[in-house]
Order: sequence, then C-alpha cells, then structure tokens
Amino acid sequence: MAAQSGAPAPLQPATASPGLAKLLVVPSLIGGLVALTLGLYGRLHHATGIALNIAGFSSPGSVKSWLATGAVVFAIIQVGSALVMYGKVPRVAAPSWIGGLHQWSGRIAFLLSVPVAVHCLYALGFQNYSTRVLIHSILGCLFFGAFTVKMLVLPKRGLSGWVLPVLGAIVFAALVLIWFTSAYWFFSTFGIKR
Amino acid sequence: MKRSPLITLLTGAALGLGLWIASMVAASPAPAGYGTPAAAAAATAPASSAPSSPAVAVAGTSLPATPSPSPSATGGFVIPPHANYVGPVMAGGGAIAIVVHDTAAIAYYCDNGAIEAWLSGVPHHGHLSMTGKNGASSQVNYALGHARGWVAVDGHRYTFSVTAVHAPSGLYRSIAVVRGATVKAGWIVLADGTQVGSLEANPDAAAPTARKAPQLNLTTRTADDGGVTITAKPIDAETGSGF
Repeated sequence: MAAQSGAPAPLQPATASPGLAKLLVVPSLIGGLVALTLGLYGRLHHATGIALNIAGFSSPGSVKSWLATGAVVFAIIQVGSALVMYGKVPRVAAPSWIGGLHQWSGRIAFLLSVPVAVHCLYALGFQNYSTRVLIHSILGCLFFGAFTVKMLVLPKRGLSGWVLPVLGAIVFAALVLIWFTSAYWFFSTFGIKR
Repeated sequence: MKRSPLITLLTGAALGLGLWIASMVAASPAPAGYGTPAAAAAATAPASSAPSSPAVAVAGTSLPATPSPSPSATGGFVIPPHANYVGPVMAGGGAIAIVVHDTAAIAYYCDNGAIEAWLSGVPHHGHLSMTGKNGASSQVNYALGHARGWVAVDGHRYTFSVTAVHAPSGLYRSIAVVRGATVKAGWIVLADGTQVGSLEANPDAAAPTARKAPQLNLTTRTADDGGVTITAKPIDAETGSGF
C-alpha cells in the first residue's frame, strides 16, 4: 500500500480517483463482509431470548440503553474533536491533545457498543417485526461494517481529503439512528431508569 | 501509531467474542431456580456457569413429579418439554400466557376487556410461531424458566418477557353454553395471584366482543357471571389438562 502513496495522487484529482478506489476497495469489502456476517448470524442463529447480563441494572434493555447512550456521548465528542482538528470551529485552534481525545473517545465509544451488539445478536437476532426494529437491525450491522472500513482506511496515505470525514459521518449517523431506534425508544417507552 | 486502528478493531472483536462465549457459557446450564430474582442475578456472572445437568435443573424448578420427556438443549439453552409462562406484556396493560406441552402450545393474550386472542402453534427447538383468529400472531422464544417475544392482536404488537409459573398460577379457559349461547372465557392468573381475564358472550360471531371476565374462584374453578355459574378448566403444561 505504501507504494501506491506516490506523489501524483494528491496533486492530480483526475488520477486520484483510480488510486483512491484501489485504496478503498479492500477495506470496503472487509467492512461489507463484517456487516453481512453479523446480519446473517443474527438472522440464522436462533435468538435465545437471554444472554449474559450486567449486574446493577433492572434489565438487559436498560443496560444496553445506557451503554448505547454512553457510546453516543463519546461519538459526539468524536464529531466535535474532528471539527476542531479540521479547523471548522471558528476561533478555536486545535490543541495538541485533540488527536488523542479523538482517538480515545472513538475507542471508548466503539468498545461500549460491542457488548450491546453481542446481546442484540445473541439474544434477539436480526428482526423485522416493526419498522423501528428493521431499521435498527440493518443499521446495527452496517455500523460495525462502516466502523471496520473507517479503521482500515485510517492508516492509509494518499487519501482524498473528504474520505475520512465522510466515513466518520456515516459511522456517526448510523450510531445515532441506532440509538434513536433503541435506547431513545426504550427510555421513552419504559421511562429513564437504571 | 499506524497500527492503532487495527488494534482498536481487534480489541473490539476480541471483546465481542469473549462476551459471546461468556453468554453461551452463562446461559447453557440454566441455573437451578432460573427465573427467581436471586438466580437471575447470579446468572450475571460467568462464574455461575458451574455445570449442572439438565435433570438437576428440572428438579430444582420442581417441574412434574411424574416421569416426563427429558428436556432438550438448543443453542446452549435447556428447552423444557412442558412449561407454563405467564406475565404482563410491556405496554398496554394486558397479560400473556403461554403453555407448552410436548408437541403443542397454546397462548392467550387478554387485557381484562375487549382485546383478547387465543393462539396455537407447534414448539420447535425453543421457538414458537403461533397464530389465532382475526390475524392474531405471536413469535416466542422460550427456555427453562423464561419466555420472551411478541404477540400481535387487533393490529397492535405487544412485547413481553415472562417467567415460568406453576399451578394455581397459569391459564384457565371456559367454554360453556349459557341460555343457548356459547360463552368463551379465559383467565390468566399471574404469579402474584392477580387475574387478567376476558369473556366473549358471542365467540362464533364474525366480530366477537369481549368484556372483563368475572373473578375466577381458583379453588372451585368457577366464576359467577351475572348469576350464571361458568366452570373453567386449567390449561396446564404439567398435567396436560386442556390439550
């Protein structure tokens, strides 16, 4: 991959496209495979109804809702720190620690989302019995695929400037919609409770 | 630095894999007395996976004293051949009862009033796909001590997560001819003794109307509906009554 990061790509937009496509194809395929695997597992594996629970919460639903809410909070920090890094916030110069904040908030958000996804896929599966549930199921699988793409693309050199912001936006939008179709629904249906 | 995104991914994957395996391990032995709050709390720790044979687990929940088919295991869960599950649905004020007996299952949803449905289906490895009149349907996953899923009645979908119960809690049904008209009633007796019941005075009509059922006397299994005594029969997985 380092060989492809030759000088022409950033200079010539016309020649950047094929190079960019090459850079993105393998991560995209792997990400697609991740999303597809999760979806197929969720659909084909027999939903068990129960799974490992976390102590201190009234139900798996509330555990998941709080974890997902935590993930969204860190994801908002992601967007904020990215805006600062890209100099999109007027009169705010990027401090030296902004990169670390961006990386760690992302890591924490991702790691918070993993137990939720495991419970979803193991105990509930990919379901389509209502629009909310269908959207949630599709986006849940897409989120991990998109996140995989983002992580695999991240270290590559010679990317067009829009690639990381677009991937980040997809991941963020998916997470927020997932939260709206689950945790927001849970809290508004059953009340905000532990 | 360049590898850190990959490490993030692999850490997440490892965490997911670990939790997935822990879920299977924690769930598989179906802790004795599963369904009681204490046991449910114990199930939160992977350490609670001390292997207990399915037979022991069944004895622990005092399922039938009479010889019965041994429970099967599906996806790490012990699937009881006979089980009664009742409990309230999550929203809407109604209750659900699901009775699984070998190769048949009966479910009843009612809300103490006009909304009610009888459903039936065939158990399949801990899963029930049930249907009833007027488009009523339900999907249920059940295992030792616990059942969850949804039931759709009159275009509304109610989700539930309910536990196993033993008589006198459970499901009761009455089909009687009163003054030449058939009266069909159902009662769900929850674990705390609360009754949720509906009564249809015209079950054979195109659009039967239901109302709150009179209180069922669980000792005599009779109810007094405006001076008429109606007799109910339990639908019980453990005795096979009602199947």
